[in-house]
Amino acid sequence: MKKFEPVIVAFCCHYCAYTAADMAGSQRLPYPANVKIIRVPCSGKVDALHIIKAFENGADGVYVAGCLEGDCHFKNGNEKAARRIDYVKKYLEEIGIESERLTMVTMSAGMGYRFAQTATEITEKIRKLGPSPIKTAITQ
Amino acid sequence: MQNTNRPQTNNDKVLVVGGGLGGIRTALDLAEAEKNVVLVDNDYTIGGLMTQLDRTFPTNNCDLCTLAPHLSESGRQEYIELMSMTSVRSITGEKGNFTVSVRTEPRYINEDKCTACGACHEQFPECVRFTPGLDHRAPTCMRYPQAIPQAYSIDLDKCEDIEALVNCCPAGAINPDDMAINREIKCVSVVLSPGADLFDPSKLDYLGYSTLPDVVTSLEYERILSASGPTNGKLLRPSNGTQPKKVAWIQCIGSRGIQKGAGSYCSNACCMFALKEAIVTKERFQEDIETTIFYMDMRTFGKDYELYLERAKDDYGVRFLRSRPHSILQQLGSDALTITYTKDDSTEQHIEDFDMIVLSTGFKTSEQSRQLALNAGIELNDSHFPVTDGFNPVATTKPGIYVAGTFESPKDIPDTMVQASAAACMAGSDLPAGKKTARKENNITTERDVSGEELKVGVFICDCGDNIGGVIDVDTLAKRIQDLDNVAIAISEGHGCSRVSMEHIRKTIEEENLNRVVIGACSPRTHLSKFQELIRKAGLNKYLVEIANIRDQATWVHSNQPENATSKAYDLIKMAIASVTKAQPLVDQSLPINKNILVVGGGISGMTSALRLADQGFQVYLAEKSDTLGGVAKNIFKTLEGDNVQTFIADLTNKVENHEYIQVITRAIIVDHSGMPGMFKTGMQVGPQMFYRQIEHGVTVLATGAIPNPTKEYALESCNAVMTQLETQKVVNQTPDIVKKWDNVVMIQCVGSRIPDNPNCSRICCQTAIKNSLAILEINPDARIFVLYRDMRTYGFQEEYYQKAREKGVIFVRYSKDSPPSVNPAGNQVEVTFTDVILGQKVTVTADNLCLSTGLVADNDSSEELAMIFKLPRTADGYFLEDHVKLRPVDMPVPGFFVAGTAHSPKLIKESISQANAVAARAQTMLARDSINLGAAAARVDSKLCASCLICVRACPFDVPFINADGYSEIDPAKCHGCGMCVSECPAKAIQLMQFEDDKILAQLEEIFDKVNA
Repeated sequence: MKKFEPVIVAFCCHYCAYTAADMAGSQRLPYPANVKIIRVPCSGKVDALHIIKAFENGADGVYVAGCLEGDCHFKNGNEKAARRIDYVKKYLEEIGIESERLTMVTMSAGMGYRFAQTATEITEKIRKLGPSPIKTAITQ
Repeated sequence: MQNTNRPQTNNDKVLVVGGGLGGIRTALDLAEAEKNVVLVDNDYTIGGLMTQLDRTFPTNNCDLCTLAPHLSESGRQEYIELMSMTSVRSITGEKGNFTVSVRTEPRYINEDKCTACGACHEQFPECVRFTPGLDHRAPTCMRYPQAIPQAYSIDLDKCEDIEALVNCCPAGAINPDDMAINREIKCVSVVLSPGADLFDPSKLDYLGYSTLPDVVTSLEYERILSASGPTNGKLLRPSNGTQPKKVAWIQCIGSRGIQKGAGSYCSNACCMFALKEAIVTKERFQEDIETTIFYMDMRTFGKDYELYLERAKDDYGVRFLRSRPHSILQQLGSDALTITYTKDDSTEQHIEDFDMIVLSTGFKTSEQSRQLALNAGIELNDSHFPVTDGFNPVATTKPGIYVAGTFESPKDIPDTMVQASAAACMAGSDLPAGKKTARKENNITTERDVSGEELKVGVFICDCGDNIGGVIDVDTLAKRIQDLDNVAIAISEGHGCSRVSMEHIRKTIEEENLNRVVIGACSPRTHLSKFQELIRKAGLNKYLVEIANIRDQATWVHSNQPENATSKAYDLIKMAIASVTKAQPLVDQSLPINKNILVVGGGISGMTSALRLADQGFQVYLAEKSDTLGGVAKNIFKTLEGDNVQTFIADLTNKVENHEYIQVITRAIIVDHSGMPGMFKTGMQVGPQMFYRQIEHGVTVLATGAIPNPTKEYALESCNAVMTQLETQKVVNQTPDIVKKWDNVVMIQCVGSRIPDNPNCSRICCQTAIKNSLAILEINPDARIFVLYRDMRTYGFQEEYYQKAREKGVIFVRYSKDSPPSVNPAGNQVEVTFTDVILGQKVTVTADNLCLSTGLVADNDSSEELAMIFKLPRTADGYFLEDHVKLRPVDMPVPGFFVAGTAHSPKLIKESISQANAVAARAQTMLARDSINLGAAAARVDSKLCASCLICVRACPFDVPFINADGYSEIDPAKCHGCGMCVSECPAKAIQLMQFEDDKILAQLEEIFDKVNA
């Protein structure tokens, strides 16, 4: 069987994590190619439905990257996102998906290193968890 | 008065001499503030030295990509008249009324006819002249792909068959009868930024530069590394075309008075230049190559530069040898280059072989620039750089004539950009007030209605030189993309941001009748607006383009895994295609701009910015936390050059406090902030009773400063004989009698700087130590002064003062980070023990004054809070983070915010003033407009779906949605900030955020996983 390569979706806030990802690039900091970034104007824009849709389509892991606490460009979008993530995690458990597959992280625009580190850590975590139950169901 | 006609007098212009990066920035700042500029450059295309650099520190970006947008900005600005191949013959008259006589050399090509097709260059392919030293001369010449003017130029003297050359041009643009033209330009002020030359090492026979082909200058090495260079980016030894295994850099060639003919100053940028070249070399060849830097002091004093040095050491394994090599020789029959050197801890001679040696040559003014200075009537110093005002480095000895960039003094790109903007501020304020040229109507193509059309996506993939093309095969990728649904055309596009490519993309859109565009390129953060503008020119709504960030997110990150990079780039482009097919034409919102300015911080920087902007007629509110103006500089008496800081501050404070357009608000603490660029509201608590006051403004300037490092090291608190440089300075200036009693003075550098807790260099302390040492010796010539240092970082002309201190007997002893000096208080004195590297043993000095160079740290208490209130990013050490470290050093990433002075990073007073002036220029580019574009990202409610549940009303952080008379939620697009929080909360999915619509996000998600479903 082919080695399991997780597919991970990162919803990145334009003002922090997306910029941090650019910075990681310009500093040539490597991180796993498994992570695919979707740019959003604020982590608070990330819909519960989009997260579920990602899993439904076969994502092995999803993370939402917003600004550091208190740094949200729109006052409190990151806090709202964090609350929503907690809620979606509970829902995931109910439908039989490990809640560890979904994470909320925060960083500032200057943290290129943290972006690369987070992407690496989350990829490794998901790799250990193995393919998402939904993906297994689809491929069977 | 509303005068839309152009003023009849010609005298409403600023002349900018020199089209390098600095000159372009000056011209752009003036033009964006709607002031007329004539930009002259004696080269055939503008861009200057920077166009020859492969990558720039500290981001290791490709320069062409960062510079290109500036160049084409420069080309299209209607306020800029560009005169290339033009030199200044004389400048007469005075401020407000200069007459400049210029001569334009013949280009032999009609710029209007030339399409830059390259046919002439192809048929006369002896090669293109790109480089000093590594050149092959071609009759036709265009320096780089993004060049402006885009036309080629011809060196007729080198052409043997003129007729054949003329006939080879399909556009008939070659005109061998072209003639030189002399003209006179009237202008009110002049900015000189002709740049500098690099030191020519060919006369120094012991370095072998003129005889050994593998000894190259740092700029030549840069050209060898460059994708557009003579070896197409392959690192090859010029002697035999093999790849070198060992490369060495030798620093300070032509600087610090080391060699015959060298400048007595430090050239400022070479240490970082060498570091960058070594890092890029290691990055590309990793274990296959060894890199060694021979240096005297590593001068990485800029913002976060110390971290770059640490990375070179720790992450890339660059080897550092503190040594001045004796010679470079090549033994007969050998192709190795032998360096003979001694280390500073012994007299033993070492011999080591290298394959290539790079000489880090410093800056010097060119003969041409000296002549220009003479023609302009400005004074030069002994090193042939302009004499400038001690507190305003862009002001020359002649009013109305300003200087910027490396012509002013040796410096790197960020400092050049700051000075360029500062010069724009000064030169612009010489223009008569209110003289603004009416903007010409742009004849914009009408927007095509694409509704109902079948989807036709055009995909253009950049190779960005080696940045993308060096990792993945762009042509093959384009072929794979071509097969995807809805894709009408997919092609590789070289440097997509170059003029030629942009024009090609525009034509392709029109010819193929494309209705959606995807660019596989770099970050939308930097380039989206450029491509939006491009497709708008091609008749498409600007929101019908997406950028797939395949450089920053794929090729840069997975440069060692081409397969992964390729499949990720493919996925990213597919996602962008999916997203753009759902994109709809949108209309931008705009609102009138509030032209008032809030300056936070009343130190020298804040006061300077306030004064410049108020002088231009803008209302300025200057909010200062403490009860007086002046900031940290109130504790400084004189500068290194001897200028009186106290009188300067008193004068500045007086002007600020009495200015009709400046309102000073002391004891002001910022407590809240809202609104958007051009229409901010900031609340503060003011005065002893903390009254709340709100100010409405369009621009915010952060000049909150830094604070002296509150370190407690080396018995600073417990022993009276231990003090900081600031305290010593006070003693020297106020109670010289005490100084007379000092027999021994020890200064310790880098106290609390360049350590794990505060890794960066504080920049100012080395020159402060020199300044105070010289002042102590002035009072007490018999005092023995020891300066314990790690690297002496007396950059630029400070080096001359360092030499002077050595001549006067100040003893400089180097210590290493691992064995710092130890201190033992002994009554009113203090015993300082340190290792003398030359003696190889410990030495103890009983000092009457131990003076600690504690440097500056960010004022975390206030900057953290302000960053949170204003939503601005900071560096890891707490300084405000600018938008682009090289090209936008005073602009913050949030539009409408600017940063000046030590709030940005530690710097000297005159450097802070330059930044403050630069901020004033940058702010004016925004304030010149009467309205502000808010973009199209606003939430839109579908009333048919709205259930009036009030969730959006509660979710909005800005209280924008309300239930209207019809009973549905309504969101005013002009008030909406575009965060999308209401969208994600709306249970009926009745709200969509334009530009980030749900179907676009879902479409991207589908694309990531189609492999799984297939």
